[in-house]
Amino acid sequence: MRKFVLCCGSGIVTSTHIRKKIEEELDKRGYKGKYSITQCRASEAATMSDGHDAVISTTVLKTKCACPIIVATGLLMNRGTKEIYDQIESFFTPED
Amino acid sequence: MQFILNFFSTLNSLGAVVVMPFIIAIMGIIMGTGVGKAIRAGLTVGVGFIGLNLVTGLMGTYLAPAVVTMCERFGLHLNVIDVGWPAAAAIAFGTQVGSYIIPVCLLVNIVMILTGTTQTIDVDIWDYWHFAFTGSLVAIATNSIAYGLLAAVFNMMIIMVLGDLTAKDVEDSLGLPGVSLPHGFSTAYAPIAMALNWLLDKIPGVNKITFDLEALQDKIGVFGEPILVGTVIGLIIGIAAGLPYAQVLTLAINMGACLVLIPKMAALLMEGLIPISDAASGFIEKHFSGHGQMYIGLDSAVGVGHPLTLSVALLLVPISVLLAVALPGNQFMPFADLAVIPWMFVLITPVVKGNGFRALVIGVVVLIAAFYIGTDLAPSITIAAEQAKFDFTAGTQISSICDGGNPLTWAIYKLNTISPIVGIAVVGAIAVALAVYNRIRIKKVNAAAAEEA
Repeated sequence: MRKFVLCCGSGIVTSTHIRKKIEEELDKRGYKGKYSITQCRASEAATMSDGHDAVISTTVLKTKCACPIIVATGLLMNRGTKEIYDQIESFFTPED
Repeated sequence: MQFILNFFSTLNSLGAVVVMPFIIAIMGIIMGTGVGKAIRAGLTVGVGFIGLNLVTGLMGTYLAPAVVTMCERFGLHLNVIDVGWPAAAAIAFGTQVGSYIIPVCLLVNIVMILTGTTQTIDVDIWDYWHFAFTGSLVAIATNSIAYGLLAAVFNMMIIMVLGDLTAKDVEDSLGLPGVSLPHGFSTAYAPIAMALNWLLDKIPGVNKITFDLEALQDKIGVFGEPILVGTVIGLIIGIAAGLPYAQVLTLAINMGACLVLIPKMAALLMEGLIPISDAASGFIEKHFSGHGQMYIGLDSAVGVGHPLTLSVALLLVPISVLLAVALPGNQFMPFADLAVIPWMFVLITPVVKGNGFRALVIGVVVLIAAFYIGTDLAPSITIAAEQAKFDFTAGTQISSICDGGNPLTWAIYKLNTISPIVGIAVVGAIAVALAVYNRIRIKKVNAAAAEEA
């Protein structure tokens, strides 16, 4: 079970926007039910990152997080989306 | 025929909660999202509206009376309650101007791209609400939806040009290549930040001061969390109002709840808009790229995570509360929009090049302005809220920092209160002048790029 933190400016608008896209893509790639996504604001990313596998962020994040940060701004622009999804997928292990 | 007219007039009288779902669903169907998806999107928007209404209702029930009592006790006049940008957005979308805003703004973007007056494909459909907000206030001041829509169009034109002009800074300081931020709120502060920064440069001695605030965010960031800010402010106001401790505790937890729940309800609203937003942005990207170097216009939220932005915004939370109480003639009580302060800084941070002192000074100046503007715009905003059938306790007025404190919104509104014709003419002239200037600049940029190629 992979746990992701999805972070944006407010934890509302941009993160909600890409959450659906990420969920649809991950389900399509066969990971349905094998991950969880928690939304949060940029200022909460560091504290929330504990115990999660990766922080997917639509905003610039320079704070230290307990796990790797994936820059997902491209999902808002429809640019480089495949690479971003590949990056997210790389956190799943064969046991998942 | 009469039945149809009656139907629409009944619908309209039920307010945004019922009208918006219809409009969103119809737009979705027109844009080819499929009937099922469109209906679900429309309903989700309606639910978001109702949710927001419920939470601001809580504010009206608990916060407003306590603030009134507190003001009586201390001779304060803080009777304008800050309901925050989610409510402002809901109100903006819920007015008549708001119901037309999405197709109107798409058209403006298309026309601007075709006339070479912008390099930006604005895919941030959600943020059209800022232009609808300005337009709604102008519509109220001029008693004309047409003038309101014109004001919205000119507001967008000005912001689109400013977005293009600041795109290089965005790329450099926020590391976002190919992105511009044509945001009705954040981008309005770019020229102000540049002017103030230039001014600070000219003051001997002061122009040398700099401190680094970025580490602050890591250390005390937890105090900026909405749940704590809301509860603490609820406690402070309850105690200041001299309420019995039971009521103080109730007020505190309710206010903490409001600041947490408002964003969640806004998320629902946004979720309903997503299919429309995706369809619209897909359309515009597919058919209108390839006009020279193009930027993708995004929500300025993508720049909010910058550590200086977050740290200064954090410091400004207690500073705002103190300012609100101390400023003579101010009636604006900051609350829900303390959370929006980072958005003010998205384009201020690049301008001050990481200088924490300047960021703080500029922040205080624009906040002071925001409070007075928020106070000045409160009557019209409250009327707009009533038009959108937004619930709030009678006897208080509502406002917000975003866009109730937005200097560009205020300027456009104020000009239109002098006289509609003068107002629209002046704003229109500025918008067109900026567009023409941008067109000339874009031609030069594209010519230079073509030579290098």
